[in-house]
Amino acid sequence: MIPPGNATVTDTTSIIALPAAPLHALEIWSNPVAVGARIQKGLGFAPPPLNRSTGNTATTLLRYEPTVWLVEGDVSVLADTLGDDGGLTGIGGGIVRFRIAGPGWRELLLEGGVFDTSAAAFPAGATAATVIDHVGVRLHAESEDACVAYVPASYAEGLHHFWEEALPLLGA
Amino acid sequence: MYQITCPHCGPRAQTEFTYERTTDSVVDPAGDAQTAMQALYTRANPMGLDDEIWRHTYGCRAWMVLTRHRVTHEITAVKAIGPEALP
Amino acid sequence: MSGPNRPATGAETIAFTFDGTTYHARPGDTLAAALLANGVGLVARSFKYHRPRGIMTAGIEEPNALVTIGTGGRAEPNTRATDVFVYPGMVANSQNRWPSLAFDVASIFGLAAPALGAGFYYKTFFGPAKHWMLYEGFIRRAAGLGNAPTEADPDNFSQKAGFCDVLVVGSGPAGLKAALDAAEAGSRVMLVEQDAVLGGSLLRDPDPSIDVAAMVERIRALGGEVLLRTTASGYWDHNFLTLTQRLAEPGAVPEHGFAQRLWHVRAGRVILATGLIERPVPFANNDHPGVMLSQAVRSYVRRWGVLPGKRVVIATNNDDAYLTAEALVDAGAEVVALLDARASGPAAPAGVTVYHDARPSSVTGRKHALRKVTAVICGSEQSFDADLIAVSGGFVPVSHLHMQAGGKLTWNEEAQAFIPGETPQACETVGAALNPLPAPAIAPVGKAKKSFVDFQNDVSLADIDLAWQEGYRSVEHLKRYTTLGMATDQGKTSNMVALSRLAERQGVTVPEAGLTTFRPPYTPVTMGLLAGAGARNAGAHVRRIPLHALHAAHDPIWQPLGYWFRPRAYPVNGESLAEASLREARTVRTLAGLSDVSTLGKFEVSGPDAAALLELVCATTVGKLAVGRGRYTFMCREDGFVNDDGTVWRLAENRYLLTSSTGGADRMAHHISYVRNSLRLDLKCSVVNVQEHYAGIALAGPKARAILASLIGAEPPRHMGYAPGVLAGVPVHVLAASYSGERAFEIHVEATHAAVVWHAIEAATRVEGGAPYGLEAMELLRIEKGHVVVGGEVDGRSTPHDLGLGGMLNKAGGFIGAAGLTRPALSAPNRNNLVGLVSLDGPIPEGGMLIQRAGQSPQGHVTAAARRILEGGAIALALLQGGHKRHGEEMIVTSPTRGEKARVRVTSPHFYDPAGERYRD
Repeated sequence: MIPPGNATVTDTTSIIALPAAPLHALEIWSNPVAVGARIQKGLGFAPPPLNRSTGNTATTLLRYEPTVWLVEGDVSVLADTLGDDGGLTGIGGGIVRFRIAGPGWRELLLEGGVFDTSAAAFPAGATAATVIDHVGVRLHAESEDACVAYVPASYAEGLHHFWEEALPLLGA
Repeated sequence: MYQITCPHCGPRAQTEFTYERTTDSVVDPAGDAQTAMQALYTRANPMGLDDEIWRHTYGCRAWMVLTRHRVTHEITAVKAIGPEALP
Repeated sequence: MSGPNRPATGAETIAFTFDGTTYHARPGDTLAAALLANGVGLVARSFKYHRPRGIMTAGIEEPNALVTIGTGGRAEPNTRATDVFVYPGMVANSQNRWPSLAFDVASIFGLAAPALGAGFYYKTFFGPAKHWMLYEGFIRRAAGLGNAPTEADPDNFSQKAGFCDVLVVGSGPAGLKAALDAAEAGSRVMLVEQDAVLGGSLLRDPDPSIDVAAMVERIRALGGEVLLRTTASGYWDHNFLTLTQRLAEPGAVPEHGFAQRLWHVRAGRVILATGLIERPVPFANNDHPGVMLSQAVRSYVRRWGVLPGKRVVIATNNDDAYLTAEALVDAGAEVVALLDARASGPAAPAGVTVYHDARPSSVTGRKHALRKVTAVICGSEQSFDADLIAVSGGFVPVSHLHMQAGGKLTWNEEAQAFIPGETPQACETVGAALNPLPAPAIAPVGKAKKSFVDFQNDVSLADIDLAWQEGYRSVEHLKRYTTLGMATDQGKTSNMVALSRLAERQGVTVPEAGLTTFRPPYTPVTMGLLAGAGARNAGAHVRRIPLHALHAAHDPIWQPLGYWFRPRAYPVNGESLAEASLREARTVRTLAGLSDVSTLGKFEVSGPDAAALLELVCATTVGKLAVGRGRYTFMCREDGFVNDDGTVWRLAENRYLLTSSTGGADRMAHHISYVRNSLRLDLKCSVVNVQEHYAGIALAGPKARAILASLIGAEPPRHMGYAPGVLAGVPVHVLAASYSGERAFEIHVEATHAAVVWHAIEAATRVEGGAPYGLEAMELLRIEKGHVVVGGEVDGRSTPHDLGLGGMLNKAGGFIGAAGLTRPALSAPNRNNLVGLVSLDGPIPEGGMLIQRAGQSPQGHVTAAARRILEGGAIALALLQGGHKRHGEEMIVTSPTRGEKARVRVTSPHFYDPAGERYRD
């Protein structure tokens, strides 16, 4: 009686908890342009603008805040570039990373959400912090096929369960 | 639920934000008690536009000043507090 | 009527039950259509008078045919039979009747109607209280709707965000066109329809020039989202709308476990193509089964092939009902009479007798079937044998969403209708709602007492008249006095009829009489849908500590603490909570214990100005701390009261760790960010919330130092000292802090490596005879030591001085709250001060009030009660007026609510080792 809606192939969308990795908060409080230049020299790429990510095989910088970057991977080079203009603080123990891969990731992240995950609003390479099912999460659109969610460790199990339950709803 | 145009992130849902206080109730930590209490307890509270401090707490965590109409809820301006972001 | 009203064609494949009887429906039938097809005319009993009711409409505005669908936890009471589509095995039951729908004992209330008229409750309340006591139980049982299910709902509810440039509400001809136009123009479109099929009025009045299927296909091809069984139920600020979508019909087992979905949609522009609702006509017994709205009759005939009556009278004040006559004649029914209240009208179908200046005055029936319609025609009465009367009193534009958006209405005198006008939001109304047919005001001619206006709440014209007589002039007062429009249908069919009557009584025009407020939701919403996934766990996810699974293996008693769950005690050998916690506390006092303190708020502050920021946030000095040292600290609000407390440690030259209470962690994170990023942008420092980065393990007791020394292979720092170390191969921070009063340490470790560290400490502790301890033991220990807790002694009204912390304040000032603290009232001598209480007899009731003698006003209250851990005897912490100077005084703690009392002596709050000698090695 109810005609099918906009059908989406869903059986290939998956949620994987990634192994713990070193994560740091990098904050620059003074001379941002000079520090940016030093980072570019040290890492080979400039720190990304707000709500974007940049990286190489060893280190990825994801920017969620005006003065703070999330650093994934090796920070040894960075530590030497900051001087008295910024600081690095470890935060990896408090974050669980989930990779949501497959064609349904954008739709899945609308469940319990308030943020527009469409390709136009959130293209590959973009980052965004938002709220999903009352939990503050950070998102990174790795590619058209996958997004990594950085979830507070205390909420990781709850949100993982929330997403697993919502998977069958994709396209429904 | 409002839509607030964060100066850093663009239009986002009110859910991501927290209200702090009006700008006329900001207390100078170095000020005297009388001025501080005046700021805390005798606010203008206009029936119209007012400047309010909000934070994009569950987004970019930055602070901003919203000019918001207290009757129609129209937000006429949003201004970032803090250092201009790196390019 | 009786017998089936739709010839069987073999399409009747869906079996369902209504009040235990099995019937068959066709795919696409609403329950209402299926019941009518099966000749079931009596469907419900009315709310107050238990009058027999049938099906009046074909849409969500149905006021009469409320039923309960489904069983057990899936049962959905008060579902409109017109808004549920029959599925195999559906169980439907009528409501508000006993012992059966056809023979309802309480229908005797109908006879008592004069006594239960408008304002009955108010009058009874204002009468002697015993009257109410007498009536209450009886009325509560008798008046009502369906019963709420007692079992938990087994289904889930989804909440989903939606974004679009254009949201179109309603898929009739205007909505379809608007959606297609927007999609063709490149907009991101959402089209929502509350029905299970698209088309709106086209389902009743097909238009061969409109190809609905092709239009929808095109909208979808252009990327538009089309949602069926979805109601736009709320229109909020900034073009934010809530939509409720049925993923499964009421009572059905949903395919994916989710019964409904709540959409949170932000739309660039909203187009309301919500159409019209037909207005009923007031006459005596106009609530009788067999009285149906004219367009509803047409819908049943044309959409579902159901003939709700064989001999039909039509009563109208507009041209639309003539189409119903046509539909009925086409379907083979006899239209006995077309009563047109106007002096003239359009041509009627052949064979239909039209009477002008004709309006119905009453109907009568037998066995709940309609038999006779009486009308006043050109001033004289005439009766017709009929089994159905189709009525049309004009049309009401559906302006609910428009009004929720803050819109205005304009009055159309010709149509006697409010038309959507301007709105402050990016929203417009299109289609039929803008152009209701002309329908003049017609004065009712039936007996007012039996002429119903609000069918669901049993409000008649006489009730409105009575309210008017008793002085109720404002429409808002009328509504509350008569309960008009306050039922689950929110007056969709009744408000305009009632408003006309009120205007008529007042001698004013309808717009002068005013309108009541339109509030969300447009149609009733299941509570579980608003809770979403939170319906399962009290509205929020449980926050799990890093070692949750490890503790769970000990099978502890858990304690919810804010969003967190923490072990409260680890009972062994069948111990009670009290026994286990006392054993654990004694172990700490005599040997050693370990406890999970991971939920503490933790902030890492780095940079050249880190100390400057901390001196602003903390009310104690920080700047003088040497590297490797820490101290107890507390933070004040701007008004001078204590906000939170914790410890601050200098980890390195330009790096500090600040801890705060578990409950205060989020509040402090916000506060510190406010100070740093809003007030003091000039500071060169970074504050990072590391609450979850580090797991914390407290190790306390006389043997703690030796245990830790063996684990880290080095002498642990002395009391309030800090040292980095390596424990079980994992880097850790060792903070020599004590909450228990014993020599103690907090070991903070990156949460991902916490388990190996815990295991190592637990093993070493058990070798020394120690054991893990939970929150309850920690509470016993801290009370005995006289340490305050935020949320207990620190209750938002206590100053540092009240808590005995005044001496620790930074004398140089300059911290948040320093100015507020200088206010004279904050150092008044009679403030509530922290004191200890020692019982002179039995246990001290927690929360009890402190008095000197019976009958006196309380002078303070007990914040936490415990017992001496080793010696025995009841003790407590309390806040007492002028308490600092009352040590030694005898008082009474009384808890009238528990009927408990104890005689106590006021003492210092530090019961245990007041000199702090046990901290020293």
